[in-house]
Amino acid sequence: MVNKFIPQSLKEALLILSQHDCYIMAGGTDLMVMKHRSSGLLPNFDKDVIYIANLEELNYIKKEDNKIIIGATTKYIDIMNCSLIPQILKDIIIEIASPSLRNMATLVGNIGNASPAGDSLVGLYLLDAEVELTSMRGKRKMLVSEFIYGVRRIHREPDELITAVIIPCHDFTLTKWKKVGSRKAETISKITFAGAYTIKEGIITDLRLVFGSVSITVVRRLELEIKYSGLSVTQLHDKIPEILSDYGQFITPISDQRSTKDYRYKVAINIARDFLTHIE
Amino acid sequence: MEKIKLVINHQPMELEVDPSERLLDVLRKELLITGTKEGCGEGSCGACTVLVDGVSYASCLTPIANVIGKEVLTIDGFNQTEQYRLIADAFSELGASQCGFCTPGMIMSTYALLLKNPHPTEEEVRLALSGNLCRCTGYNAIIKAVLLAAEEGKERGIKW
Repeated sequence: MVNKFIPQSLKEALLILSQHDCYIMAGGTDLMVMKHRSSGLLPNFDKDVIYIANLEELNYIKKEDNKIIIGATTKYIDIMNCSLIPQILKDIIIEIASPSLRNMATLVGNIGNASPAGDSLVGLYLLDAEVELTSMRGKRKMLVSEFIYGVRRIHREPDELITAVIIPCHDFTLTKWKKVGSRKAETISKITFAGAYTIKEGIITDLRLVFGSVSITVVRRLELEIKYSGLSVTQLHDKIPEILSDYGQFITPISDQRSTKDYRYKVAINIARDFLTHIE
Repeated sequence: MEKIKLVINHQPMELEVDPSERLLDVLRKELLITGTKEGCGEGSCGACTVLVDGVSYASCLTPIANVIGKEVLTIDGFNQTEQYRLIADAFSELGASQCGFCTPGMIMSTYALLLKNPHPTEEEVRLALSGNLCRCTGYNAIIKAVLLAAEEGKERGIKW
């Protein structure tokens, strides 16, 4: 018999988490699928569950010190409609699942779920987003790209709750989002790509290429970003084959029910080439 | 088991249920409110769409704990209203329902859209219904029916 907890406050939630190893249920759009049995049967939870969707104190979006902070129970729909949110994250969210799932699901849930095909993660890696983890012991922060270390693997201790996502503000010249799936809505990605660059006085000072669904975690390579920054647009265009070959080493997809390894690799490279070719 | 308070189809209720029970099962199995259908059971088809505080939810992925204190509206609570009649008439006039299994979900998603946006464009309708699958009609009739309902609503001065 597992326990089901419905805390009324963050404080109560943290107390419960300090005593019980729980599944943390926010919108339920991943967990309820994973634990689903057949119609009419209760979902099959093999350990305690804590329901946090109704914790209003974590339902917020605010701007502080040039950073956007999004609380853990804030739904996709509210994030998508908020003027503080960077355009690339809005572009990503509007293609996630369907309107009703965006009314239910949370951005923090997508991080906690840590699927290789989690669309929002690609944007969060690109934007240098951090998670805020809270427990009875205190708070700590960690880059999303470090927090996630494998397929559905995260550095959360059992007594911790991801309480917020923190997104630094950037002044990119352009951002680009591309999702490849079987259909436009209600589709799990075959390949995703987020790109961004900043041009100052004809020089590309910042160039970011981030890929999703092509490896066990999102692919972002800081060493390649350093290698290819400081070029003029013409120099960059000359280096496109080299850039693609450098990134290509890290694009290591698998074949599964949604797509094949070869298709994913080829399309990921094509999208990156298209992005780089259009930098001007 | 927990005592859970919420409002379903305008009726305040107190239910003794497991917090993880799906809203869909509470409706269909516990309360015998069967207008809401189960299709895929994993949030991909929209047949189980209900409104929670005026926005669409997939009731198959909603643990009942998530709707504590909220107002749930299903097709069974909506179908007494003038707004329902208008949408349903537009659906029947344009052949937007064939086998009918997706229709309760389609109508609830339509209502959720018109509540927020009484005069949608075709593109907005397509986006609003993008989570509702229909295997019979090919969608065009449904999209036209929603646009017709919006048009009729405007002419008759309906408040969504």
